[in-house]
Amino acid sequence: MRELLNGRIEPGKGPVFWIVGALLVIGMLFLPGLVGRYTLLNFNSFLLMVFLATGLALLWGFCGVLSLGQSAFFGIGGYAYGIVAINLADSPWASLAGVAGGIVAAVVFAALLGWLTFYGHLRGVYVSIVTLVVTLVIESFLNQTAGPQWKIGTAHLGGNNGLGRFSGAAENIPSLTIPTGGGNSLVISGSSPTFYYVLIGLIVFTYLLLRALVNSRFGVALAAVREDPDRAETLGYDIRLLQSMTFCIGAALAAMSGLLYVAWGNFITPSVFGVTANVLPVIWVAVAGRKSLAAAILGAVVLQWGAQQLAISGGEWALIVQGALLVLVVLLLPEGLLSLRQQYSRMRDVRSSSLKSQSRQG
Amino acid sequence: MGDIISFAYQYADSFALLALSSIGLVIIFGMMGVINMAHGEFMMIGAFGASFGFQWGLPLSLAIVTGVFAATAIGLLLERLVIRKLYGRLLYSLVATWGISLVLSQGALVLIGPSVPSLPNPFGTVSVGGMNFSVYRLFLVALAIALIVTLWALMRFTNFGLHARATMTEPDMAEALGVRTTRIYMVTFGLGAALAGFAGAIFGLSAQIQPTFGAAYTPIAFIVVVVAGSRNIIAGLLASALVLALVKTSFTVGFNILTGYVAMLVTALIIIRLSPTGILDLIGKLKALASQHRSSTAGTSAEETKNA
Amino acid sequence: MLLSVEKLFKKFGGVVACDNVDWSIGSGETQCIIGPNGAGKSTFFQLLTGRHAADHGRIIFKGGDISRLPPFARANRGIAMKPQTLGVFPELTVEHNMRLTLQRHMSGAALRDAIEARLADLDLAHTLNRQARELSHGQRQWLGLGMAIGSNPDLLLLDEPTAGMSTAETQRTVDLIHRIGATGTAVLVVEHDMAFVRQLAVPTTVFHQGRIFASGTLSDIETNLDVQRLYLGKQGVAKLRN
Repeated sequence: MRELLNGRIEPGKGPVFWIVGALLVIGMLFLPGLVGRYTLLNFNSFLLMVFLATGLALLWGFCGVLSLGQSAFFGIGGYAYGIVAINLADSPWASLAGVAGGIVAAVVFAALLGWLTFYGHLRGVYVSIVTLVVTLVIESFLNQTAGPQWKIGTAHLGGNNGLGRFSGAAENIPSLTIPTGGGNSLVISGSSPTFYYVLIGLIVFTYLLLRALVNSRFGVALAAVREDPDRAETLGYDIRLLQSMTFCIGAALAAMSGLLYVAWGNFITPSVFGVTANVLPVIWVAVAGRKSLAAAILGAVVLQWGAQQLAISGGEWALIVQGALLVLVVLLLPEGLLSLRQQYSRMRDVRSSSLKSQSRQG
Repeated sequence: MGDIISFAYQYADSFALLALSSIGLVIIFGMMGVINMAHGEFMMIGAFGASFGFQWGLPLSLAIVTGVFAATAIGLLLERLVIRKLYGRLLYSLVATWGISLVLSQGALVLIGPSVPSLPNPFGTVSVGGMNFSVYRLFLVALAIALIVTLWALMRFTNFGLHARATMTEPDMAEALGVRTTRIYMVTFGLGAALAGFAGAIFGLSAQIQPTFGAAYTPIAFIVVVVAGSRNIIAGLLASALVLALVKTSFTVGFNILTGYVAMLVTALIIIRLSPTGILDLIGKLKALASQHRSSTAGTSAEETKNA
Repeated sequence: MLLSVEKLFKKFGGVVACDNVDWSIGSGETQCIIGPNGAGKSTFFQLLTGRHAADHGRIIFKGGDISRLPPFARANRGIAMKPQTLGVFPELTVEHNMRLTLQRHMSGAALRDAIEARLADLDLAHTLNRQARELSHGQRQWLGLGMAIGSNPDLLLLDEPTAGMSTAETQRTVDLIHRIGATGTAVLVVEHDMAFVRQLAVPTTVFHQGRIFASGTLSDIETNLDVQRLYLGKQGVAKLRN
């Protein structure tokens, strides 16, 4: 277990890394006491995107598959949560059933799409384009579902107004609700400190789990698939299965973000499938460094916060800055900001070894 | 009879839409392997340029040329500044052009505003045998065919075409033979941007011109390009647009527009599931299968005669 | 027979790259396939590894038909290969490269020990945590070979294993191939360099235009006039006679 956590693939190890990480998490626990309800609501919306970002990093950075359809799974997770929870509105288990429904729907869809792409021997940009096109088609489909005939059970899909109270429908999407026994339940609204603590707990848990996964033999196999799929296959690895499995895990993570997003704001519209929604996670992960889960987490939170600050002061310039940032990172630091740290440590190694050889000569 | 003509008209219209909106993307992908995510923005620039040209008092045809120039200039600039640095790294160039796309569409919104004045549509309708046809639509069909033929001639008969084909199939060899491949790539990217700009300006005659203008065309352009593959750009584009337009039109006529759109996507997915390298290889496989079937039945019948 | 090929046929476009080839290799046997460039030996190699699927014909390995199996399934049945392109993962560490082969057969401390032992065997123990691309060309060749035999395969396929090697390294490779053969692993070497084939001195098959042109012991092949003509051209043969 120790070996899995301290790892071979995911960067960051040793006591300093773990102590800094633990301090960061502990520090975060004090946040709800320091800020107002509105700031917390905002911060919750940043944190819930972390799963989407780690899923993309897992696929792109660790497995070499650049999926541009992660927001499809985000949206499917969100819509499925909403539809299930609305239909079971009277039950205290509605939202938990929605959570299960959201993840299952996304994983089933990912398995289907994985069969179409990976088992169809598609690679590289083809996978990216197919996933993107599927996402955009879902968006146009849902935009057409405004009529009253478009409903699943009691949930109206609502066209471009989406699902939930903003669509003008009577039904509301329930927040996260946990039955506490004796007919009582705990309702966790999107602006509550409880929602925040749930997110922090889930993020820490997901990070450690994924870290163990990528450091396991599965992760070593993924690295081989990323570097040279043909060679990996001749060493006995079923690359299509590995890619599809990773794709499903990435989809589950994106769906997690999607359903938390719906539980947070009690609404979802087809725009979550759109091009802008799709490019943002790519920016977070590319800028921070796609070959690290920790970088993806930090990138998602920091860049969302930064973009919001920009949007407050600079209005529409926020997206331009983010787009330009993406181009610059690809040109100057293809492995993201994380590679600065690696370059630094490599430089230090070189310097110390050259110092050593100098002292030996002296 | 009327149904057949109406179907043919709609089919030709779908074909023109698919071919025109994807032609610039197909050229760049086929020649360089680069998926240009800013394709829709080049179309938008073409339409914006045409709109500005028209407002400056240029005649419509010159206004369209202005749009093409604007798209070409920006395409060439981006090729020099960004794309050139990423040759051979296809996922990186995809991601970089996506960033560019965001900058261009949002930049147009901030600098120019949410919309610009529309272009006038000089075409009317013609009436044949009691049915009305939009001359504009017929013009698009003629234009699509003319562009494909021109490109074919360009690749087949000119020096550029020869060098381009050499660069596409064997870049190192072409370089060794004295072809300046970076020049070829630059011209190709410029050509792709020009064609996108041209399509944008032409579509701008009948659509509202906004910063998100391209978004209506990019998904179908992507579908056409993955189905077309990169083995033979022009034949691939033609086959892809013809087949997908047929599916789209059939389902649109039979059901509705949305079903036609979804059916087209599903068809594209089936085609690339069967043949990841594109529709031409699928056609090749089907031909091989048919000839194998023919020869095997011929073989057994010959054996039967021998045995008898 | 460990592996036998029956009427194997493959066409690319209009070119027949493998024309109804019959061939076989027994357990523990070492064989060589040679031929000029474009003779179809690479296609034959890739039909065996599963990189390409044959149009028709059968490949029987350990009694089962594997001609429809994907590459990974063939690998898992005991066919290992090393491609001409070294077959190492340059961006991964040497340890990870070795781990990739061995982790399919063992785990935990046994895996760690085996990785170190194999790398020590190959004289690469000191490179454990270096990226494979930092190694010299020869070291990468060795690592690639080590990865290919790491799974203790029944059959090892080598595509031009000495490409880019010095004379000394080539001799070491010849010795290593003989050593692998002695452990009971069958080895097929696909090669176009006649000098190397001479050093190896094992039963050899000559490919030409997708067909088996000649086969037999090394001396059979060397004295075969048709093969000489194929390799040296008519003048070359005339010169040799004079």
